[in-house]
Amino acid sequence: MTKKRTGVFVCHCGNNIAATVDVARVVKEMSAEETVVYSQDYVYMCSDPGQNAVIQAIKDNQLDSVVVSCCSPSLHEKTFRDNTTRAGISGFTCEIANIREQCAWVHKDRDVGTEKAIKISRSAVRRAGRNQSLEPIAVPVTRRVMVIGGGIAGIQASLDMANAGLEVILVERQATLGGHMLQLSETFPTLDCSQCILSPKMVEVSRHPKIKVMTYCEVQEVSGSVGNFKAKILKKPTFVDPEKCNICDDCTQVCPVVVPNEYELGLTARRAIYIPYAQAIPASYTLDEEACLGLNPIRCGKCKDACEADAINYDMRPETVVEEVGAIVVATGFDLYPQENIAEYGYGKVEDVLDGLQFERLCSASGATSGHVLRPSDHKVPKDVVFIQCVGSRDPAQHCAYCSKICCMYTAKHATLYKHHVPDGRAYVFYIDIRSGGKGYEEFVQRTMEEDGAIYLRGRVSKLYRHNGKVKVLGTDTLTGQNVEIDADMVVLALAMQPSKGTAQAAKVLKIGRDKDGFLAEAHPKLRPVESVTAGIFLAGAAQGPKDIPETVAQAGAAAAKVIALLSQATLSHAPTVARVRRSHCTGCEMCVTACPYHAIRLENGKAVVNEVLCEGCGSCTATCLRAAIEVKNATQMQVFEMIEACLA
Amino acid sequence: MFFNNLKQLHGTVYINDIWCKGCGFCVQFCPTNVLDISPEFNAKGYHPPYAKNPEKCHDCQYCQMICPEFSIFVTKDDEIAKGEAEK
Repeated sequence: MTKKRTGVFVCHCGNNIAATVDVARVVKEMSAEETVVYSQDYVYMCSDPGQNAVIQAIKDNQLDSVVVSCCSPSLHEKTFRDNTTRAGISGFTCEIANIREQCAWVHKDRDVGTEKAIKISRSAVRRAGRNQSLEPIAVPVTRRVMVIGGGIAGIQASLDMANAGLEVILVERQATLGGHMLQLSETFPTLDCSQCILSPKMVEVSRHPKIKVMTYCEVQEVSGSVGNFKAKILKKPTFVDPEKCNICDDCTQVCPVVVPNEYELGLTARRAIYIPYAQAIPASYTLDEEACLGLNPIRCGKCKDACEADAINYDMRPETVVEEVGAIVVATGFDLYPQENIAEYGYGKVEDVLDGLQFERLCSASGATSGHVLRPSDHKVPKDVVFIQCVGSRDPAQHCAYCSKICCMYTAKHATLYKHHVPDGRAYVFYIDIRSGGKGYEEFVQRTMEEDGAIYLRGRVSKLYRHNGKVKVLGTDTLTGQNVEIDADMVVLALAMQPSKGTAQAAKVLKIGRDKDGFLAEAHPKLRPVESVTAGIFLAGAAQGPKDIPETVAQAGAAAAKVIALLSQATLSHAPTVARVRRSHCTGCEMCVTACPYHAIRLENGKAVVNEVLCEGCGSCTATCLRAAIEVKNATQMQVFEMIEACLA
Repeated sequence: MFFNNLKQLHGTVYINDIWCKGCGFCVQFCPTNVLDISPEFNAKGYHPPYAKNPEKCHDCQYCQMICPEFSIFVTKDDEIAKGEAEK
């Protein structure tokens, strides 16, 4: 092997590095290295003059490899590799020595810092000494997208992408599209009917030639990588053929089973065969296998007998479909924090204590009471209603530490709606403070207080219990410093938002990260808020963090734009730093095949073979191989040993 | 409690102990687990079933359908009468 000609470029980063590292000494030490033929320092290597200096040095000194001692490779590796490519040599011959985050920022002593910067730079020089010139691998792209979750986020993202010409598969685990937004009665701050603004979008999705809607389905397994994912989707049986079903409702008339209706949050009952809403998409009934007496025409079979369209088929079985897609949008949404966790508010067992979504259903014209606000225990109009904010939110000691963001606004909306329905009733709102940032939001809250006359009490409720047919609410008004006791007819809790169960499941299936509260983690909190850490997987809606509808729609649009940009390319380039097999050393033991998390290795004629498109260069195979027969390009065992040697010398 | 007025269908199970041969089909196949084997013996020396959870019967009549001895049958409860009685 001919000797390498390496150039070392040390960056001051203003004072970020130069304050703790003697940059000139690093340059001097590096120039003493055997392979280094050129070295220099500069105040900002990433600036235009800095980069041009690198290009000039490469050309003048016929450099074939480059080391830049600067900040973390997560920031400027791409800048310098692109720069090296512009100078005419492969970008993969450029190595970054991180002397800022891993050195200058963590040390105070200049001598110690300089010593460590020299070692880090020297190890990068040794690694660069064995780097090969590599070219990126071109990967073909599947121009289809899978959207997980059929709420407003998923619907919006699907429409945006389909209108841009991409084929979309929209997967929803429930029997209908719509998600939580379909359950809401009116939306703040304009009080327009939620179903009326959502259902046109649902209809558009169902009629769109580019969108394939898969309801009552769950994503079970996803393999592959950006541009070429393979998703295994489980189609749960509905036992009703949506093509034949004409929604005549004969089946529910004869079904003998009654169970609580989860779409009305238990306020009404439904049969084992049911349709969630009148606007449900697809417009078809679903037979709940758990509630049904048994899928057996001898056992019950009353619905099948009653169905004139012959749409009911007890022989339907779960089916697995495999779809190939280029990108995935995760929009799995939220659940409410369980009432059962709140001991002081009766574990969800005290009658007439409702959660926010139940109250939405009470106010909704299509809801349990056809839009009359009635209390569940005796179906009478409640005259004193207490709304409690921050239930489960902003309580790091017991529940969720975060603010659920939307509760201030929806509680104000609930109080307004209640006063519109029951003008002579009294609405009390217990709050910690009001967070109403948003267009028209503060004005809405002020209207609720002043025009609609809701009584806002700053303080918390310590306890509530049933007393003489009412709910006794004990709390404090911290502004007057007095204890408050209210005999309420009904109590509505603004429960915290938490990531839905489906979010946890999706994160597991897609192998994407979640934050400490369980919401999906974005790649960068400010600059990449709609991307997951895994390339090709994007986030939208409340699965990523508490959000109201406008923000959810905006994020869904942003995710769609990212997908459209990604899939508008004919091919994607893939890093060539992938695993390579030394066939003479390979014994075909298959340990690397099992270790590979990307299913990129298979056995061919008794030797391991790497699929370069799938390989991410993680090195798991190298670590398991007993004979050093497989290693990652430009991170070979020899390079790693030399780097260790350089650090320990 | 529910706001809509869907009512659960109910049935009453009648067991003819004398004909039963204690095969246990009805106990095994009842979808809502109404029945259980009785510790009592009948005249033939078999353990007949008894309605352990009679309130769970939904009048599906599956037990009646599969009983090889025709010794069990179900009648549908008069919902209105029952509703009145509750009040």
